[in-house]
Amino acid sequence: MISKQSTGISRREFLQWTGIGAATLAVAACAPAAPGAAVGGGAAAPAQGKIVLRMQVDPKQEQPVVDLYKQSHPDVDFDFVSVSGTDHEDIAAKILTLVASGQALDLGYAATEATQLYAGQKLSAPIDEYVKRDAADLKEYFTDVHPSLIQAMMFEGSLYQLPIDFNAANMYFNTAVLKEAGMETPKTDWTKDDFYNVAKAATKKDASGKTETYGYAWTNRLWGSWMPWIFVNGSNLLTEAEAPGGEWLWTDFYAGDKAAEGRGGGYRWLAPQANAAANVEALDFMVQLYKEGITPSIELGGGQTLQGFFTAGKLAMTPAGGFWAGGLANAGMPDGSFDVQLFPKWVNQRHQFGTAGQWLFDQGKNKDAAWDYMKFRISKDAMMINGMFNPVTLTTPTRRSMLTEERFAETGPANWQVFYSTLDDHPDTAPIPAPPVSNAMTQLFVNYTSRAMNEELAPQAALDGLQKELEDLYARNPDMYKKAN
Amino acid sequence: MASVASTTTAAPRSSRNPFHWITENTLAGMERRKALLGYLFLSPTILGILVFTAGPVIFSLVLSLFRWNVFSPPEFIGLANFDRFFHDSRALMSFWTSFVFVVFAVSLQLVVGMLLALVIQSRMVTWMRYTYRTAFFLPMLMSGAATAIVLSYMLHKEFGAVNYYLGLLGVPPIPWLSQPGWAMASIVISYLWLSMGFTMILFIGGLTGISTEVLDAADVDGAQGLTRFWNITLPMVSPTLLFAAVTGVIGGLQVFDLPYIMTYGGPGDSTRTAVMVMYEAAFKNMEIGYGSTIAVVLFVIILGVTAGQFGVGKRLVFYQ
Repeated sequence: MISKQSTGISRREFLQWTGIGAATLAVAACAPAAPGAAVGGGAAAPAQGKIVLRMQVDPKQEQPVVDLYKQSHPDVDFDFVSVSGTDHEDIAAKILTLVASGQALDLGYAATEATQLYAGQKLSAPIDEYVKRDAADLKEYFTDVHPSLIQAMMFEGSLYQLPIDFNAANMYFNTAVLKEAGMETPKTDWTKDDFYNVAKAATKKDASGKTETYGYAWTNRLWGSWMPWIFVNGSNLLTEAEAPGGEWLWTDFYAGDKAAEGRGGGYRWLAPQANAAANVEALDFMVQLYKEGITPSIELGGGQTLQGFFTAGKLAMTPAGGFWAGGLANAGMPDGSFDVQLFPKWVNQRHQFGTAGQWLFDQGKNKDAAWDYMKFRISKDAMMINGMFNPVTLTTPTRRSMLTEERFAETGPANWQVFYSTLDDHPDTAPIPAPPVSNAMTQLFVNYTSRAMNEELAPQAALDGLQKELEDLYARNPDMYKKAN
Repeated sequence: MASVASTTTAAPRSSRNPFHWITENTLAGMERRKALLGYLFLSPTILGILVFTAGPVIFSLVLSLFRWNVFSPPEFIGLANFDRFFHDSRALMSFWTSFVFVVFAVSLQLVVGMLLALVIQSRMVTWMRYTYRTAFFLPMLMSGAATAIVLSYMLHKEFGAVNYYLGLLGVPPIPWLSQPGWAMASIVISYLWLSMGFTMILFIGGLTGISTEVLDAADVDGAQGLTRFWNITLPMVSPTLLFAAVTGVIGGLQVFDLPYIMTYGGPGDSTRTAVMVMYEAAFKNMEIGYGSTIAVVLFVIILGVTAGQFGVGKRLVFYQ
């Protein structure tokens, strides 16, 4: 009786007030903060007067560059943010989540897969004004870098990144497997039929018909994958167009360079064409190779598994870029045990590539300092000591002058010139299609690819399904190329 | 009477110490202090639940009514996300996939967990009992992501260790991760391996709690084997069974790491679970509103299923 009448604060009142308080806190905590509001929020407190740049990098690879930079910039400190993922879209998802949660960056690192994704979300900043301002410093860089790599870093007329590394999908060979099959590394102008003959000859089966050594393998992703076959069959997953703008760039830095002629303000992939006849034909070819036991079942991811089987002599050929040379050397493959060649010709020999570089966070508070580091990072001195290229070449440098015999002397491949001649000899070589909705697009692409490859759907049906879903995706994002509309 | 006296003789509170209601040296004051102390002890938990569970749930519900990509201001679109959800065959399929996964994974988790507990609680040398208990529980301590990576290597159709050893026994290569049915089976088995140790420990706790008098009485009455298990053991551990089933279903409906890493939801969408679709919508495609819609639907389903389980439990569970 006593307690019921006299308790001044009832359970209901208490819970009500606690609830109101907690809800207020929750809403405050979950409220969408402006991404820029938290720039540097996660960084350690800087020493007096110092700038701290928060940078998405591989700390081990970046440290030598940072050390060199700090010699001339003692007022700048760095906070490394290491982000790993199964593939580029996974990393992009994590970066987007990171920024969405208020942990902004000053400098990010993105490959083609995410260039337009970040630019389209206005997460990355155009660097046109910085480039124009520091044109004299950058002249040497642009002279050393193929224009197609620069064009791939543009979005709607503006430049967003300065590419540091790139990889075109060439063809790697395990020379021992080829030799055992009585074959040699093909010549530059080999064709799709030559490829088929090599793949078939290199495939070894046991008495029961089970494949022991595969002629060809690929991983299910956007870059590499079966996309190179789409390209050499004269097609693409999406329609290609050129954004207006960017004339200043080509005039100022590439005047007289024939490879730069006709380039504009970056790629626009305005509509899906997944079920184009050439694409169906390319996928049909992949399914045929699988059915014949030339290709194993298709995996997702970055190709680490395939690298293991390649080094173990269980695989003859796979599409890869310069990044494989370092990986194979690190895995113990001696120089001469593997080689590389251009992708075979089908309708044409147009290659696909992906390129990567740093990007500036659009709402960063230290944009000027970040740009200064970004500019330093693409200098020859910095690139030469970058862990990506030193001591082992783990990916292809965008600077033509860095692709030398000396660089590949210890690791191979013998035909290393292919990496850059892909661009020089085939200037129509283009980036993988990666519009601002590239993450969602990639998911659909790998989804329907796996359906076709496990024979759940025929290639035509799979690509019809992909086309339909890509059309829905584009319909939900009508403004991704605003200036195009 | 004491309360009447204290309330009728007290001067108006506003004219005195504002904390009088809690500091007054009366029975009522003592009661209030006691109540407040209780609430103070409860408040961290209540606040934690409100901020980290209820708050996000409410916020998700609000977000589900918006189109929002984080970088631009949210746009109110009413129930459009829900309309999209009910026409999104991939999202609907993912819920069905989660349901199928739960049916197989949780059933096996309960059956295998119970069997292991019964075997381990049977007559056995103590060191052996501890060894088995530890061995079966150990996978529970492993990181799901690390396990998924290793298993995806082991289960590779052409190059995996599992098919290699099966091949030595004459078994043709099994497409563990590359055919829809096998891929689901692989995920279920992997989940079972990771989670059965916990269920086993729960059942061991339940079995240990059965009164020896009841078991002795069953012995005297001649109840043996399956009869004893069905009529004595199972009813006695039914509260544990209900708990294991409820937590198992909740955990199963939220499965993410294994299918995300082992199959990426494939082949096709065959192992794409509801949480995967939610993650992909919200964090890969930056459709936070639509991702929230999927979360809300999943929340309602989990709430309903759990309520249903408790409803069934009321009729079937035996409390001593």
